[in-house]
Amino acid sequence: MAVSVNEAVSTGPVRDHPPGARRLGGRSRSILEVALLAVLAVVMLFPVLWMIETSIKENRDVYAIPAKFVDFQVTSEHFKDVFVASGGGRSALSVSFLNSVLVAGVSTVLATVLGVPAAWAYSRFAVKAKKDQLFFILSTRFMPPVVVVVPIFLMYRQVGLIDTKLGLILIYAAFNLPFTIWMMKGFVDEVPAEYEDAAMLDGYTRLQAFWRFTLPLLVPGIAATAVFALIFSWNEFVFAIFLTSSDNVRTAPPAIAGLIGGTTVDWGLVAAASVVCALPVFVFAYLVRKHLVAGVTLGAVRR
Amino acid sequence: MSDPVPLTTGHPGQVASATPPAPGRSRRLSDRGLAVAFISPALLLLLAMSVFPLLWALYLSFTDYSATRGGPAHFVGFGNYTAILTSAQVHQRALTTLIYVVGAVGLQTVLGFAIAYLISRRTHGRGLLTTLFLVPMMLSPVVVGLFWRFMLDAQFGVINSMLGSLGVGQVEWLTRQRTALISLIVVDTWQWTPFIMLIALAGLTAVPRYLYEAASIDRASEWFRFRTITLPLVWPLLLIAVLFRAIEAFRLFDLVYILTSGGPGVSTETLSFHVYKVAFLGFHTGTASAYGILMVLVVIVLTQLYLRYLNKLKED
Amino acid sequence: MQRRGRMPVPSRKVQLATAAMLLVATTVAACGDGQDNGAKASAPKAPATIPELTKDPLTLSFIWFDWPPAHALEAFANAEYKKERPNTTIKVNTVPNANWHDAMFTQFAARKTDFDIAILDSQHIGEAVTNGNILDITDFVKNNIDVKAYNPYLLAAYGQFPQAETGKRDENASLYGLPLLGDTWTMIYRKDLIGDKPPQTWDEMISVAERCQADNPGVSGLAFHQANGSDAAAVTYNTVNGVYGGNLWDSKTRKIEGVLNDAAGQEAMDVLVNKMKPLTAKGSGNWFIDEVNAAVAQGKACIAFNWIAASGGLLDPKQSTLGTTREQILDKPGFATLPSQKTNLVPLGGMGMHVSAYSSKANQAEALNFMKWFERADIQKKWAAAGGVPSRTDALESPEFLNAGPFNQVYTDSVPRMRDMWNVPEYARLVDIENTNVNAALNGAKKPKDALDDIAKEQQGVLDSSSRKGGGGL
Repeated sequence: MAVSVNEAVSTGPVRDHPPGARRLGGRSRSILEVALLAVLAVVMLFPVLWMIETSIKENRDVYAIPAKFVDFQVTSEHFKDVFVASGGGRSALSVSFLNSVLVAGVSTVLATVLGVPAAWAYSRFAVKAKKDQLFFILSTRFMPPVVVVVPIFLMYRQVGLIDTKLGLILIYAAFNLPFTIWMMKGFVDEVPAEYEDAAMLDGYTRLQAFWRFTLPLLVPGIAATAVFALIFSWNEFVFAIFLTSSDNVRTAPPAIAGLIGGTTVDWGLVAAASVVCALPVFVFAYLVRKHLVAGVTLGAVRR
Repeated sequence: MSDPVPLTTGHPGQVASATPPAPGRSRRLSDRGLAVAFISPALLLLLAMSVFPLLWALYLSFTDYSATRGGPAHFVGFGNYTAILTSAQVHQRALTTLIYVVGAVGLQTVLGFAIAYLISRRTHGRGLLTTLFLVPMMLSPVVVGLFWRFMLDAQFGVINSMLGSLGVGQVEWLTRQRTALISLIVVDTWQWTPFIMLIALAGLTAVPRYLYEAASIDRASEWFRFRTITLPLVWPLLLIAVLFRAIEAFRLFDLVYILTSGGPGVSTETLSFHVYKVAFLGFHTGTASAYGILMVLVVIVLTQLYLRYLNKLKED
Repeated sequence: MQRRGRMPVPSRKVQLATAAMLLVATTVAACGDGQDNGAKASAPKAPATIPELTKDPLTLSFIWFDWPPAHALEAFANAEYKKERPNTTIKVNTVPNANWHDAMFTQFAARKTDFDIAILDSQHIGEAVTNGNILDITDFVKNNIDVKAYNPYLLAAYGQFPQAETGKRDENASLYGLPLLGDTWTMIYRKDLIGDKPPQTWDEMISVAERCQADNPGVSGLAFHQANGSDAAAVTYNTVNGVYGGNLWDSKTRKIEGVLNDAAGQEAMDVLVNKMKPLTAKGSGNWFIDEVNAAVAQGKACIAFNWIAASGGLLDPKQSTLGTTREQILDKPGFATLPSQKTNLVPLGGMGMHVSAYSSKANQAEALNFMKWFERADIQKKWAAAGGVPSRTDALESPEFLNAGPFNQVYTDSVPRMRDMWNVPEYARLVDIENTNVNAALNGAKKPKDALDDIAKEQQGVLDSSSRKGGGGL
């Protein structure tokens, strides 16, 4: 079954071809569709291109009216400012990126380690009030962060987790867990329970069957799920801004937000910091791009 | 999301004690232990980080507690709740939020599905196209908010600069009542259309080929095929995506905080932003807790409605 | 909701765990209440003399928002204070401006701060004192600070509570802070466009701006703060209100309704919305410090208003199109005190240093020592030379200060003319009400008169709300 799903994805691209080409006027329609897609792609990507462009422009060109699209002075100054403080040494921004790596990474691992086994158990076993539990789990994910931040704040102040990386890691893991469980349950449902039953007939325990036969089949799904969790933690802003305040704990999003509201806005620096913030997420998402689409298919479609 | 084991859906409390269809008697105990061992750590974390704070908030919502003022919390009964539900300020924010949620999620669904449909009809470069379209979704709302604020600037912004060269005058994107809310919807749509697209695309590529083949043998029109094959198969998935987005949009805070900070006046203040003001300007923790509990109730009701609808669709 | 929305009842273990959590919850909540009961609603006292200082390495932390003076302070203190106290390192934590109040007061609320000295806005003192978050340094000031060396109002503005809204200091009132950075608005006018002589009255300023805008296409007459965040639009209205003879409130009777929106107040709102706003750039309705600076630096404004402490960037050739060197830029913008009309009031800006009640005894001692050191005559002059705005009169009149920036004379001249906002615990809400309503009026979302009446009504509601049951803060 898992194999057949992979097949479906890889043969997917040719699927539409025969019926589309058979129609009269299929060619002109195809051109229209490509054009439409191109326009949409340009609209969606323009802000990103503009951001990259701004990050390598000198500040006087940034404010130019009318906007300069091509003829501007290229500078790497802004990227240097992201990492190096004006007086030399490590900049506060670069520290915040390191903090983000730690917080996002650890919280994603935590959510995955807790979420995948739970998803497997929900999928395989007759758990009491399963639907209620799953619904409850999902509803915790949907709580408005601004609402949760108030009691979390009160709780953290009692246990001394305010302005700590551990505090952020825990709350991010808790927010990613529902998503991980829901997403992974879909993946696990796709892997036939018969595999495990067969393994157990061969003398493996249930745990061994899960570990040796099911888990390897879940890896693409875990990767896709983890990417989403990682993106959430990496980009999260609300908890970060209300639960942290010092430079050595602050993550990248509040640090970037702090770049405006001083006395002058260095849009070049904002753009460069944004590019640096976005880059790792893109790279990661690109590495697992096949699993992303396949992943969402697996997690959501079951028929 | 159907359960492979069909039980306990109707009457959880009573049916749960009935025998679950586990493979064999000897294995059942260990299965049960395994289930508990695998599920409880996750539930514990959720209890500690979500349920416990929420219960605390529930308690505080009946008091006039303030996190900074100190001193004991006085019980005020449903005072906070009635004050919130009857406040014209809150009604205004609720309307703003509603317009925003409906506008943004509606646009995203239409656009996201359209892009997914167009991509699914391509034979080449689908992977690359999908990845490119996904870019906005990967960005932090902070980055998105800051950068759109820069692009929408009436004086120096690139949007007005381009409109200017088309002969359109300066548009005050962020400082007029109507345009500010529209800008908020546009920016959110820009960022989250890819989410709908991704899920719709997943649904579209999962439509079994033989259905189309059968349909083309029957010489069904393309619209007919779309309506009778594609849409019904993708629809439940699309609804999941819409559910997620609607609830996320309902909770929106960061984009407002960065892009307009609720302005002009309070015309783009969403419910979340208002809760933030109540909670942190003057630290009316009790009121903010009640406000938050009400928002959570709305979310839970919405989620429940959607899930029921989804289940019904699946049964048909 | 299905099944009453209760948490589902899972396995026994989870049930047990839930019970445990609830138990912990109750205990912790009880602990919290106990602690809160213990905290008196008044500030703890600082020692009158500085206790013995530690010889161990120590980091003295500040909290401020991210702007050039914060970085200047860190560099200055590490260079100069280290000469006296080599074992001490100064760290100025910075947060985004929009988050400044929240970042300090959430830590105060946590009864645990990662800073020893909070740099509070003058209007934050009331909230911090009422909640017992900062030390009462009245006795310390008596023994260690030469109060005669200051304009009394500066000491009052950054330290005294209950506040002195304008003018004199109340000798009997308690002090909770010492001045760190003085500030007020400066008028920035384009000498090359409107001439060397700055307009003297508010009306004249408006007509000069009008003419300049008509004569110079692409340049707008005015640029000022209009945003609805921080205290942007509120300070703008308060300034015009003061200049046109209005009052923000009657502090004795705690009346805002009928005081703020009296005839003078209405006139000020009318001037702001109907005369000044039409002279600003399109889409400037969300401008604050940075946007006004950008407009000046890009040569897009005839007359602008901004905080002096935020004006340094205007002389940076890298950010400016007005010239390629500092000298060249200085040919264009001039800096002057605000025009007067019915009164000559100007807004009080700047911040003081306040010792966190939750920092360790050793750090509190070091903080007091730092403050004593910082207020010394020679150090105040050095601070001025390093780009800071001092508070001692001798420093304000010293060549070190007056030559450090073209706008520094403006500050010295403005000191006797300052007026502050309400310094009450409800400040954050009062200023938000004013910000959002003035911003709405400036952007056509509300009629000016309605906006002013709404401000007065809502602010009065906040001041009177202490007796209400539930729903506070809405």
